[in-house]
Amino acid sequence: MDLSLLAQLTVSGIVVGSSYALLGVSFGVIYATTKIFHLAHAVAYAAAAYAAVWAANTLGLPLAVALLVGLAAGALFGLLIEVVFYRPMRKRNATLLTIFLVSLGISVAFPNLIQIVFGPDNQTLPRPDNPTYSLGAVTVSRHDVIAVLVSWVLIAAVATFVSRTRFGRSITAMRTNPTMAEAVGIDSKRVYTVVFALGSLLVAVAALLFTTKGVATPTMGLQPTLIGFIAAFLGGIGSQWGAALGGLALGLLSSWSALYLQVDYGPVVVFGAMFLVLLVRPQGLLGKAAA
Amino acid sequence: MSNRRKLASVPSRLSFPSVDVSRRGFLRGSAVLGGVSLLAACGGNDSGSSSSISTAKVDPEVAGGLNDIFGPGGKEGGAGVTLSAGMLLAITGQGSFFGKVMGNGAKLAAAQIKVADGINYDLHIADHKSGDVPTALTATRQLVTQDQIKILQTSYGAPSEAIVPLIGQNKLLSFNGGGSSPGQVGKPFLWQTRMIFGDDPCPGGLAWIAREFPDAKKLAIVGTQENGVAGASTIAPEAWKSLTGGEVVANEQHDVGATDFSSIVARIKSAAPDAILTFSFGDDAGYLVKQLREADVDVPVMGIEFTEQAAKVAGASYDTYNFCTDFYDPKNPNPWNKIFVDGHNDMFGEDPEYYGANYYEEVFFVWELARRVLADGGDPTDTTALQEALVANPTFKSLYGGDASATGEVTFNPDDHTISKPMGVFKVVGGQPEKVADIVKPEAGADPATALV
Repeated sequence: MDLSLLAQLTVSGIVVGSSYALLGVSFGVIYATTKIFHLAHAVAYAAAAYAAVWAANTLGLPLAVALLVGLAAGALFGLLIEVVFYRPMRKRNATLLTIFLVSLGISVAFPNLIQIVFGPDNQTLPRPDNPTYSLGAVTVSRHDVIAVLVSWVLIAAVATFVSRTRFGRSITAMRTNPTMAEAVGIDSKRVYTVVFALGSLLVAVAALLFTTKGVATPTMGLQPTLIGFIAAFLGGIGSQWGAALGGLALGLLSSWSALYLQVDYGPVVVFGAMFLVLLVRPQGLLGKAAA
Repeated sequence: MSNRRKLASVPSRLSFPSVDVSRRGFLRGSAVLGGVSLLAACGGNDSGSSSSISTAKVDPEVAGGLNDIFGPGGKEGGAGVTLSAGMLLAITGQGSFFGKVMGNGAKLAAAQIKVADGINYDLHIADHKSGDVPTALTATRQLVTQDQIKILQTSYGAPSEAIVPLIGQNKLLSFNGGGSSPGQVGKPFLWQTRMIFGDDPCPGGLAWIAREFPDAKKLAIVGTQENGVAGASTIAPEAWKSLTGGEVVANEQHDVGATDFSSIVARIKSAAPDAILTFSFGDDAGYLVKQLREADVDVPVMGIEFTEQAAKVAGASYDTYNFCTDFYDPKNPNPWNKIFVDGHNDMFGEDPEYYGANYYEEVFFVWELARRVLADGGDPTDTTALQEALVANPTFKSLYGGDASATGEVTFNPDDHTISKPMGVFKVVGGQPEKVADIVKPEAGADPATALV
C-alpha cells in the first residue's frame, strides 16, 4: 500500500467529510424535530452564497461583512420557508407528503429565480490568500484547515446546545413526543422557528465555506442538501454527533476508495456502504432504534 | 457535457417517514407545487417557445457588410422564405450559461440575416435541462410536432446522441457546435461544427508539451466518460508514447460536474507525472486546475477547452493552464467576425465567446445553403435539398481564421459529417487565452508530431 497516498487521502477525506458532517447536522436538526423532508434546504444554501456575492460585489462590502450578510440571508430564507409555506400548511393539517412536495417545488423554482436575477454565470467572492501547508507528502490548504475547524466547532456547539440547554431539551422533547411536549407547555411554533433558523444558519456556513474557494451557481444547493440528508440518515436521525459521524464517514469512505478504485467509483462505494449500514442498523450509526 | 444525474436519484432510494396522504391534502399540495413549478418553468426563459427575433438592436449598416460577404438579399437571399428552426440547449440546470450564449449567437444571426434581407429564420428554443436525455427526446418531439422545425441546432453529447434517430426520421438538418462526440459522427442529417471534442486536438497539444518540456516522460490523464473518451483511452496514450517514448502513469475518471477533485489530485500526486492532460470540461477543468495547484502539483497541464466560467472557478491558478482546441478568438480581424463581435456587443452588451460563435455561424451556414438551393431553382425549405447543397460544396465562410481582408473558411467532411477548423495551443495569461502554436488533426497513422504546425 502506498502510505503517502493513504495519508493524503485521509487528510482529504477529513476535509471533505467535515463539510459533509456540517451538512448532515444542518439537515438532521431540522428533519429530526419537524419530520419535514426539507429539500428546500438548498434554498438557504444558495441564498447565503448569492447574498454574500451581492454584498461583496455589488455593495462593495468587505469580505467579512459580506459573509455575515450571507449567513443572515441563509438563516432568513430558511426561516421564511418555515413561516410562509410550512407553518400555514401544518395549520391546515397538510400531510408531510404534501409539505415535501411543496419543499420540492421550492427547491426547483428557486434556482430559476436566482438565474433570472443574477444570470447563469458563475459568481465569485473575493478570495483571500490560500497558502498550502506540507507535512511530508501530505498537503493541505489554509482554507481547508479553517473549514475543518469551523465545521467541528459549530457541530460541537449545536450538539451542546441541544443536549445541555433548556431550550435544547425542548427540541429533544418535540422530536421524541410532540404531543406530550406541547401538553407540558413547550411552544412548538417557537421550537420549529429555532430549528429552521439553526439548520439554515449551519447550511449557510457550509455554503460560504464552499463559495470562498469555488463559485456560486444557481443550482449549487441541491447536491449539498442531498449529501446532508444521506449523512443524517447514515449517522442516525436525532443525533447531532451521529449526523456528523455519518458525514465524516461519507467523506473518508469516498476518499479511501480511491486507494484501490477509480475515483468515479467513489459514489458506488459510498452508497453501497450506506445501504449496508442501513440494512443492519436502520436507525443509523448512532441513532436509537424505535421502541 | 451533461448534468449531475447521479444524485437526482438518491432520495428515492431511501426510506421516508410514513405519511398519511389525504386526497384533499394531495390536491392542495399539487396546486402549490404547480404554482412553484410554473415559476421554475419561467427560469428557462425560452424553453420550448418561439423566440421572436428582434432586429431593433441590429445596426442597419450590418446589411451592407453581410451582403458584401454573402451576396445580396432580396429574392436571391431568400427574402420571404421562412425556415422553422429549433435549438436544443441547456436553458436550465448546471450548464445554463452555455444555453444562454448558444441561444444568443443564433438569435443574433437570425436578426442580422433578417436585416440583410435574407431568410426568416424562425427560432424555437427548447431545454434539455443541461444534458437530461429523456427531456431532450421529449423536447425534440415537441419541436418537430408543434413547431414543425426543419432545422435543429443541438448541444451536448448525450442528448444529441439520443436524438439521432429523431433527426434522421424527420430529416432535420442538424448542427452540433457544442458537444461533438464519436457517437454522432456520420449520422444522417447531423453535422458537427466543432472538432471532435478532445480527440482531434489532443495529439497537437501533447506534441506541444513534448516540444516545450523535453524532459517530460510521464503523463497523467484526467477525463470523464462523457467526451474525449477515445482521446483518453487510446489517442493520447499512443501519441504520448510516440512523441516522448514515455508512458501514461495515471488515467483518472471523474463524474461530470465534480467540484471535489481531492482524491484524483492525491492519486495524480502519488503517480508523480511530468505533465497532465485533461479532458475535463466546463467548470470541472477550473476546479481540477485549482486543486492541483493548491496541492503543489506544478507540472504543465494541457486541457481541451477554455471558458470564462472555468477561469472564474480557478482564479489566478488558471494562468498555469494550457489548452488545445478549435478556439474562437473575438479579436480576429476577419471582417465577418468584426460584424459578429460588434453586433453581439450591441445586442447583448458583451463580447461573444466560443459557443456563441459556433451557433451564430451555423445559422449562416443554413442561410448560405438556402441561397445555393434557390440559385439552383430548388425549394429552400426542403432539408434534403439543403443537405445535398452542403455535400456538393462542403466549404463555408467562417469566423475562424481569415484576416483583416477576408473571412476564414471551414470545410465539412461529407463522409463522416465532421468539420475541419483551425486549431491551436493556447496559454492562459492574465485570465485570457493567448495562442502559442497552430495545430492540425494528424492524418490516420501519421506521426503525432506532425500535428504541430
